[in-house]
Amino acid sequence: MISITLNGREQSFDVEGDMPLLWLIREEAGLRGTKFGCGIAQCGACTVHIDGQAVRSCVYPAIAAQGKQVNTVETLGSKEMPHALQTAWLKHQVPQCGYCQSGMMMAAAALLKNTPNPSNDDIDAAMTNICRCGTYSRVKAAILDAAKEMSS
Amino acid sequence: MSMTRRMFVIGGAAIGGGLALGVIGVGTHLALHDRLAVQREGNNKDTLLNLWIRVNEDNTVTVLSPHTEMGQGAGTGLTQIVADELDLNWDQIKLELAPPTTEFSNGGIFEGFVGEMVGKAPPWAEHIARNAFNRLADLLNMQMTGGSGSIRFTGWQVMREAAAAARQMLINSAISKHGASTNTTTDAGFVVDGDNRWSYGELVEHAATLEVPENYTHRAESHRKFIGKAMPRHDLPEKVFNETQYGIDRYVEGMRYAAIAHSGVFGADVANIDNLDEINAMRGVFAVEKMGESVAVIADNPWRAEKAAKALKITAVTHENSNLSSASIEAFQRKSLQGELSDAHTIGDVTSIKSDANKTIEAEFWVPYLAHATMEPMNASAWMQGNKLHVAAGVQNPLYARVHAAKVAGMDVDDVVFHAHSMGGGFGRRVGFSMSDDNPIMWIDEVVTLVKKHKFPIKLTWSREADTRQDVYRPAVLASFSAQLDNNGKPNYWKSASYGSEGGAPASMPPYKVDNVKVQFANQPSPIPVGFWRSVENTQHAFFNESFIDMLAEKAQIDPIEYRLSLLSKDDDHAKCLREVVKLCNWQHGVSADGKAMGVAVQKSFGTMVATVAEVSLQNDKARVHRVWIVTDSGVVVNPDSARAQVEGGMLFGLTAALYGRCDIENGGVKQSNFHDYPIIKMTEAPIVQIKLLQSDNEPGGFGEVGVPTIAPAVANALALLGKRPTRLPINA
Repeated sequence: MISITLNGREQSFDVEGDMPLLWLIREEAGLRGTKFGCGIAQCGACTVHIDGQAVRSCVYPAIAAQGKQVNTVETLGSKEMPHALQTAWLKHQVPQCGYCQSGMMMAAAALLKNTPNPSNDDIDAAMTNICRCGTYSRVKAAILDAAKEMSS
Repeated sequence: MSMTRRMFVIGGAAIGGGLALGVIGVGTHLALHDRLAVQREGNNKDTLLNLWIRVNEDNTVTVLSPHTEMGQGAGTGLTQIVADELDLNWDQIKLELAPPTTEFSNGGIFEGFVGEMVGKAPPWAEHIARNAFNRLADLLNMQMTGGSGSIRFTGWQVMREAAAAARQMLINSAISKHGASTNTTTDAGFVVDGDNRWSYGELVEHAATLEVPENYTHRAESHRKFIGKAMPRHDLPEKVFNETQYGIDRYVEGMRYAAIAHSGVFGADVANIDNLDEINAMRGVFAVEKMGESVAVIADNPWRAEKAAKALKITAVTHENSNLSSASIEAFQRKSLQGELSDAHTIGDVTSIKSDANKTIEAEFWVPYLAHATMEPMNASAWMQGNKLHVAAGVQNPLYARVHAAKVAGMDVDDVVFHAHSMGGGFGRRVGFSMSDDNPIMWIDEVVTLVKKHKFPIKLTWSREADTRQDVYRPAVLASFSAQLDNNGKPNYWKSASYGSEGGAPASMPPYKVDNVKVQFANQPSPIPVGFWRSVENTQHAFFNESFIDMLAEKAQIDPIEYRLSLLSKDDDHAKCLREVVKLCNWQHGVSADGKAMGVAVQKSFGTMVATVAEVSLQNDKARVHRVWIVTDSGVVVNPDSARAQVEGGMLFGLTAALYGRCDIENGGVKQSNFHDYPIIKMTEAPIVQIKLLQSDNEPGGFGEVGVPTIAPAVANALALLGKRPTRLPINA
């Protein structure tokens, strides 16, 4: 059994230690906001937070999350209580197909937590997620906007 | 293009209340069929377009869009058009995805798209025509999203008519029911006659009993409140707040999961599974099924299924494709170009020019196969409920997919329920057809076959590797070009030969004034599955033609924009966009002090003219694109913000192909497998983009694909100034 604190609730899962966290989250816990894109940590669609850091869950063994705090995109915010990033994402009309965007927003949230006022280079360095629709310029604009909002 | 079909608006009471309107086209399929000399049989129906809007009793209007959402946001544009034509407030308009039934087919739209692409029918279009348009029953099974057609065909030419007719019916209702005067008009959801105001909701029950008017007028441009405005997309709140359910997110109770391994050779069946016992013993595995070219593993978790599928030891049967390679395909194409060719475009006589080796320019171009690489890999779910088969997937043609699933299952279409999901990217991958004889939605065949046998619900998810290696690819194309310059440096002939089947398409024809032109094609069936890849044939031909014209300018030692303009009439749309992009980018021809150069390209596709300038440098012999300027000219722009998003995204899609995209063929299969060897442009490499949208009163052009074609030649033309003229893609191979 693997015990993790998933979205604030301690839970145990009867899975192999080498099952990637992504599949535990999506199928064992039924949280499908975290997406599968490549399975080799290239695209970042599966980004979650482990102890506050952005992690690509498709290659992160479930056993390595034992005893840790795992937060998924479901905890980012809601329509009633949106995260500043979600507000900025709507303002800049960022998503196209939207499939990579939960991973994008989770990567951005971790960036802003560590670097509240990121430079262009900080954003480029942190945001290595793939968006096939090509929303990068809007992602960047929305992150800068959210950073301003959060620090004011 | 304009649809030359005769269209009628039809309408009446909607089930459950309200007024429903749609448009039917009559007899118009004949044009394409006759041109293609396709025999029609048993054709006695004549309704082609059934695209509906519904005026509801609660004073709202529902747009029932036949177009599935894959990122393009067309649904929002459709509601903008209807809201303006029907004179509504924004909060009165609702968007719904039409169900996958024949009442909501849009085969006529797709027919229009194919008709546009094929001046003269290429073999693949004839193939589609035979399979799709042969009988109207098949045309009625189309519900296509593609060809950048949602706004320009469905919206502008169909829903706009239905909305205008609906507004007139509501006015007529006020006149006949309430004795309103002939000065009666509308005002944001109300019919108004002096001080009398009736909401649409009040009138709709009566309006539904009236004849659909033959005469109605479109709203004047001065009355538009939404067309031309950056209205927020309806689908974005649910995407930002995680409410969008993609196909891969579908779950039903008791669901099990399938993964597949392919034989590795296109067209070759799996011969043997060497380690079946080992696979069956793996945790969670329920079954292993050999299915022609693939083996499926069913397990209790998608990762366990995939882990088992990756552990399969399988061999392919010996097949004619077993030794196929990129080199052998290229050699075959080169030999074909030296053989018998078909003429696609001819002006004057290219043989009339006396050869002068000093003034002749020759070039050979090559573009590789490309996978679509949608972010959401191919997947489909299926389950039985009573005697009904349910299928859930994100597709660009839900009605076709439903009919296809029924055929695979050997069931009546009425017994198949199709759930169309939002798509994590489409780009042409999720349509039902290919240009070759291959079935691009075989993941639906696979899951349906598995559910028919095992009865429990199954979700099949392809790995990224399966997705990359079993696509219907953008065709690999070899092309050879030659031209000769006269004493003024102008071409006196232009000759090209490309491998491919898109002969009549305008994309292959240079837009420049040359007295003697011959554009030819060599075509044989493709051993590799080829299909519709965002912007289709425009992607390769813009690269060839716009690189070649630049080579001529280089030989003539004339600024490449000046050179192009000298070969275009002053009022030509290409010239207009070129002149605009010159201003936008502050055009400089030559290499800057910091080692950057600009390159240009222009191409019209899907009704929209696009001129692109790229600023490029070489860093460690690799191209680095710093800034891009794009001017589009496309008539009415319904939603400029969505248009910009599509143009920028399309450009990045094309830039990935220009710099990195290649699917190499080795031993009959694709070598590349995932994003490490099939890389996609990331944020750090994305250039700064400036876009200018030229607008006019003309019919809207498309936007979904038009950003793609021009970036590769623009980058190549800039690199030429830096001493590296790429004639083979990808550039940073």
